[in-house]
Amino acid sequence: METVNVTLRINNELTTLQVKPNETLLETLRERLDLTGAKASCGMGSCGACTVEVNGMPLRSCIALTVEMDGAEINTVEGLKEEEKLHPLQESFMEEGAVQCGFCTSGMIMTAKHFWIETLRPPRRDHQGALFQCLPVHRL
Amino acid sequence: MILPDFEYRKAETVADAIGLYNEFAGNVRYLAGGTDLMPLLKHRLSTPAVVIDLKGILDLSTITAQDGWLTIGANVTLFALKQNQTIRDYFPVFYQSLEATACETLQMRGTIGGNLLQDTRCIEYNKSNDWRVARGFCLKMGGKTCNVVPGARVCLSNYCSDNALALISLSATVKVIGPGGERAMAIEEIFSGKGSKPFALEPGEILTHIRIPMEKSKGAYEKLRVRKSIDYPLVAVAACLKEDNARICVGGIGPAPRVYDLKGLGTDRVVDASRSTYADAKAVSNTTLSPEYRKRMAGVLFRRAVNKALKEEK
Ligand SMILES: Cc1cc2nc3c(=O)[nH]c(=O)nc-3n(C[C@H](O)[C@H](O)[C@H](O)COP(=O)(O)OP(=O)(O)OC[C@H]3O[C@@H](n4cnc5c(N)ncnc54)[C@H](O)[C@@H]3O)c2cc1C
Ligand code: FES
Repeated sequence: METVNVTLRINNELTTLQVKPNETLLETLRERLDLTGAKASCGMGSCGACTVEVNGMPLRSCIALTVEMDGAEINTVEGLKEEEKLHPLQESFMEEGAVQCGFCTSGMIMTAKHFWIETLRPPRRDHQGALFQCLPVHRL
Repeated sequence: MILPDFEYRKAETVADAIGLYNEFAGNVRYLAGGTDLMPLLKHRLSTPAVVIDLKGILDLSTITAQDGWLTIGANVTLFALKQNQTIRDYFPVFYQSLEATACETLQMRGTIGGNLLQDTRCIEYNKSNDWRVARGFCLKMGGKTCNVVPGARVCLSNYCSDNALALISLSATVKVIGPGGERAMAIEEIFSGKGSKPFALEPGEILTHIRIPMEKSKGAYEKLRVRKSIDYPLVAVAACLKEDNARICVGGIGPAPRVYDLKGLGTDRVVDASRSTYADAKAVSNTTLSPEYRKRMAGVLFRRAVNKALKEEK
């Protein structure tokens, strides 16, 4: 398999990588860049645990190829805090105790960031398709 | 689950994509948002040598209103379509089907072209390779038997696009371009009716545009699913009303949607037509809900959609 050069701006840092065409963005983030906030769960686009922000929109990174992302601006949960101050969503998840084991929480936050903060409207329809089984849902 | 090996090419024009199709002798898959294709590849339900990304084809990324038609490029995302004011004002059934598709994050990635050409689904088909090898390959995988209905000769996997139903009820047409040239047809003609190969497209054909006649309509979309936040339809009905006529499309059961044209919208006509969906719906045990329930719900959603559309404010 030929490798392909891609340049990404991840959490405001430019990175150029050589990737195989069949590498998912989730694999690149977790396995090459050690950004393990986005989680590998269903791997099929169903649950949202792998959600990161690409060009301002939430994206399920387990079903997106890194080669498709050349030139994209990507934000992960690791890049949310400013200096040492957590993002208001991170703060409120903590304050409300909206976490049980926390596995899916980064995906929740990256999804909520768009629906809550960017568009100033609360998510409808059961938190916009994030699937969770254990989380204290009423805390969201 | 990791993806199989493949090469990646990005096309800039439709001609480019068809050139690549020919160069690799058809051993390719076209890629739009990948929300249907990536899971299929992960499950090894498709193992192309090359994936050809269509997202760079700018001609396919616009929406234009001209000459009495709304023309939508195949690359436009479902989310972008939801923001379009003409769709909200003229085609309420389409707006509602977009809203009912998957979840908003997937609508941001998924395109309308990919939505229409998504593969049919079955509880015995959308599974890992190991699972399918252990179970034995079914008709849709090139095997000799159906794993849902023993002895069945045809595949009754379900076509699950929400938006195809709305577009059929709106009498939309599609344009395709392939190695053999260009053609246009009514959208319902893209279906073969066969679950094993659901589309009547020629090899290498690319769906380029969808056109909807610009007539104001009343409409409603009703969908049965287990989880409201994200789920494929288990049966769904799109109803589009223009004056005293209705075009109603039932889908989510079997490999192709079914169309009902009603002249006159008296209660008796609507109820009679809704009852005929029971016999027409070829439901089998290939989803999470029972075939009997889905068949019965087809008629219920049919009446619900028509009534909702009738009540809608002009
Ligand atoms: C968890 C989950 C839930 C979902 N729920 C729903 C649902 O409720 N309703 C629903 O309708 N869909 C649903 N989907 C399916 C899918 O997300 C949408 O149908 C989406 O719109 C597909 O578009 P895409 O651009 O991602 O397609 P892709 O995956 O890129 O393509 C789909 C197919 O079409 C072909 N293709 C794409 N564009 C073209 C073109 N222009 N010409 C020729 N061939 C082309 C591809 O080769 C592929 O075979 C769901 C998917 C997931 C993962
Ligand atoms: S891991 Fe990506 S959606 Fe579940």
